[in-house]
Parts: sequence; structure tokens; C-alpha cells
Amino acid sequence: MASTQSHPSNLTRANKKRSLKWRERRIGFAFALPALIAFIFVILIPFFESLKLSLYRYTADMDAPRFIGLGNFTKLLSNPDTLTIWLNTLTFVTLTTASTFLIGLAWALVMNQAFKGRLVLRALSLLPWVLPSTVTAFLAAWIFNGQYGVLNAILLQLGVISHPIAWLAERNSAMASVILARVWLSVPLFMAFFLAGLQGVSQDQVDAARVDGCENFGVLRYVVIPHLAPTMIIVVILGTMGNLQAFDVIYALTQGGPVKATTMLSVEVYKQAFQNWDIGMACAIGVLWFVTIAVPTVFYLRILFKRED
Amino acid sequence: MLLLNTWRARAGFMATLMVIGGFIFLPLIWMVLTSIKPEGEIFVRIPSLLPHVPTFENYIAVFSRSDTRIQLVNSLITACGGAFLTVALATYAGYSFAKFRYAGRKPLMFLMLSAQMFPFAMLLISVYPMLQWLNLLNTRTGLIVSYIILALPSGTYMLYSYFLSIPNEIMEAARVDGAGELYILHRIVLPLAMPAMVTVGLYSFMWAWNDLLFSLTLITAPELRTVGPGLLLGYLGEGRSDWGGAMAESIVISLPVVLGFAFLQRFFIKGLTAGAVKS
Repeated sequence: MASTQSHPSNLTRANKKRSLKWRERRIGFAFALPALIAFIFVILIPFFESLKLSLYRYTADMDAPRFIGLGNFTKLLSNPDTLTIWLNTLTFVTLTTASTFLIGLAWALVMNQAFKGRLVLRALSLLPWVLPSTVTAFLAAWIFNGQYGVLNAILLQLGVISHPIAWLAERNSAMASVILARVWLSVPLFMAFFLAGLQGVSQDQVDAARVDGCENFGVLRYVVIPHLAPTMIIVVILGTMGNLQAFDVIYALTQGGPVKATTMLSVEVYKQAFQNWDIGMACAIGVLWFVTIAVPTVFYLRILFKRED
Repeated sequence: MLLLNTWRARAGFMATLMVIGGFIFLPLIWMVLTSIKPEGEIFVRIPSLLPHVPTFENYIAVFSRSDTRIQLVNSLITACGGAFLTVALATYAGYSFAKFRYAGRKPLMFLMLSAQMFPFAMLLISVYPMLQWLNLLNTRTGLIVSYIILALPSGTYMLYSYFLSIPNEIMEAARVDGAGELYILHRIVLPLAMPAMVTVGLYSFMWAWNDLLFSLTLITAPELRTVGPGLLLGYLGEGRSDWGGAMAESIVISLPVVLGFAFLQRFFIKGLTAGAVKS
């Protein structure tokens, strides 16, 4: 600031520099503008519009939505199905995320070892994640098929069961099938995250632990797992968010059935909105769904925000 | 990292490799084997592992149906369109958030990221009447525009993280030489950001190609249907009886993403996990 009083030409130079900075800022903002406009129109406005519609009664036979305050929500809370669907969602998300976590971590540790053909195997094991969810659902439906499914064939051959079981027609086994299908398709992604985390484990620390007398379990316990902890948190949060959003594989495999046994919030919103055309009710369930996803998202954003500073 | 010098460690390693490997690969192998079996070998209580008489009749049937071909073309158009649009928007926005300082850029970015907590089906409820109003319901354009929802927020963040790793000095030097901002971005920065752009492009292509929900909701005309709903509605109607055909069609519609992925896999995993694991 000392230079501003010394010479008039410095002053204009400072001004010029300031206006240049300002110009640069404007250009910078202009670069973000198309994405922001798209974001506002396809995400932000639809979100608030749906939020608003949760306070309206709006069904296929009505010309315009009618404001009913919290009517949809009181109806929702008095309906025992709501709790069932919410608990279905929590069961699905918890079991899927936990199983994918364990299998993905174990597979990453295996794929991190040096052995012949591991690069090929690593690339191939990403396949389930790349396949369309509809394909995964069909494959699962075929494996769990009640008459000619290969799972029944294997269990019959082994003598575990005496007659074929209709896996997708019974509550618990239908839920287990949906969970297995979703775990199968998300293991590769979890593995990729863990593998990236494992690249950062220092061999020196591993060697030091070995000198201190650690076996493999000790190395995992005292070196690898502490190092992976941040990755693990991110994986659990992203996995939970993704599983809460999951629709495709569930709907293509069971359409939420039998009865409501595999109906998650995602499936229920879709059915209420695009099959029953009860838009107000669908939006009210959507609000419940949004609040549920908001919990892990807030943790996720806090981690990213901290990293920025 | 792990030492496999004892009998127990080796056994544990092999067991994990076999069990998880089996879990991952046996379903895939079963899909391929079913697709090359003749009908008579599929509908048996205890099927043989390998087909006695391998056949391509299921594949021939898939390709002889015109709706499968149409669906492949529809998916190709909408997924490429969605990916192109997402990359274009996310690149400029990621660059802006990473390299320019203006009031509100951090809150704007976090607002965008927070969109990941908006349930997709809930957004579609209100996107539907908007597209209807614009006469874009039941069009490929409408579907392409809606595909932004899937990957714009995470794509912007991935590109943002990548742009942060490009040193500011490169741009400063060009500015001193009198280069304009557009020139700097398009000629100097973008070539460096190619791997990240490819990653985001492939990522959004995959989301769009694999999508069921959006296409099921926003497209009802059979001639505009994409592969996901095509497979679902095509075989659901027949009471899910033609399993050989369903597996063959599953493989056919998976090939484009699998091939794209095989070529670009190297970039992809790096770009995808870089933003989330470390910055």
C-alpha cells in the first residue's frame, strides 16, 4: 500500500491491476454459469417443486394440486406400511454396505499381493460394476429361479434341500437375493477405493512392524487398518448414500415384492408417482427418503469441507 | 504387504481368493454358459455346467429382433449425449471453482455436491411435468438433459480436484504473454486435463447406459426405449421364460460399456478414486 502515494503512474497501474483481477473473476464466474444454470433447472427447482408438492393433494384425476398442509404426512405416519418400508430400506442399506465393505476389503488385500495374473484378475473383477443393473437383476433372477435356477440345482445335488425353493417368492430370501445382487455389483467399486488406499501404505512401516514381531494380523491391525481409516469412512458414507439411492437392481429383480418385502423408499416413491399417479403422496415419501439420505451426506460434505481448509 | 511364508497364511490367502473369486466370477460364467445353451438344456432340474451342444441361436435371435437394435441405437445416442453434456458443463465449472477466486465459489460448489442427497425419483416427479411443458417428454433430448442429474455434481468435483493439481504458474505464464482466458483454458489447460475428462465422460456414459429409472419414467414410446427398460419389459412380459435369450441379450447390451471400460480402465480408476481418497 506504500506505493500508492509515491507516484501517480503507480496508482493507475494498481487500478489497472485491480480491474484486471475483477475481469478475471467475472470470466471465472462465467465459466461456472452454464453448469449452475443446468443445475438450477434440472436439480434445484425440481427438488423444491417436489418438496412443495408434498403439501398438496395431487392425483391423476385432479386438474390442479390442492393444498392440504401436512395431510400427506399424517396419512403416511398412520399407515403401518411406512414403517415397514423404512425398515426394509435400513435393513437393505446396512446389510449391503457392511457385506460389501468386508468383501471389498478382503478382495483388495488379495489383489494387492504380488502373484501371477493379478492385473488381469483385478481388471476382470471390475466387471460386475460395469454391467447394467438390469442385467445384474436378470442374472440374479435366473440364478435364484425357483424351478430351474442353478442355486437350487447345486443345493439339491449337495443334499442340503430336498425340493427346489422359490427364493424370490418368500420374504426373507427375496430380501437376501436383492442384497446379494447389490453387493455383487458394488464390491468392485469398494475394492477400487481400498486398493487406492493400500497404495499409500509405506513398506517401511510394514517392515518395522515385522521387526517388532508382528505377524500378518499384527501388520493389518497396527499398520494397514489405521492407514486405511480415512478411506474406510469415505467408503462407508458413499456406499450408504449409493445404497439409499438404489432403485434399478431392486425394481428389476423383484418390483418390490413379494407383497412389500423388498419395497425400499426408492421403489415406493416410483410406484406411488408413476404407477398410482398419487404425486402428493409420492413427494411426501420422497421427503422421508431425502431426510434419510441427508444424514450420511452431511458427514460426507463435512469431510470434504475440512479437506478444503 | 502380507507374507505368505507359512502354511496357514497361504491357505487363508487361497481360501479368500477362491471364495470371493467364485462369488464374483461364477455368476458371470453362468451367464455366458446359459446364453450358448439350446433351450432343451436350460429347462432341466439339474443343468450340466457346460453345454452339450453349444449354439449361437440365442444371439441370432437377439440380433434378428429389430427392437433390440433400435434400443442399442437409442442408448448409444442418449448415453453419448448425456456424457458429452456432462463433461462440457463439469469441465468449465470445475475449472472455474478450482482456478478463480470470487465470492461464493465454495458455497456454490458445496451446494452442487449436496445434490447427491436429493432422491432421484423425487427429482423426476417434477422433471416430468417440466419436460412435458417443453414438449420434451418422450424424446431423446429430454432424456439426455435429465441424465445431467446423474453425474454433474460428482463429475464437477472430480474435475475440480484434477484442476487443483495443475499448477497455477502455467496459466500465469500464459497471461503474462498476453493470452486470453479462453485460449488459456482451451489450448493450455484442457489438453492437460484430458485423463480427467475421459474419466468423467466414461463415468457419466456408464451411468446413462446402465440407467433404468430415468428411461422407464421419461420414455414410454417403444421406439425410443433404451436397453435397460428394453430388457426388463421385453422379458417380463413373457413371464421370464426365455432365459437363454435373456442372458444373450444381457451380454449384448453389456458389451458397449465393457469395451469402453476395457480401453479406458487405466485412467478411470485413478480419476474416480483420486477425488475421494486423497486430495
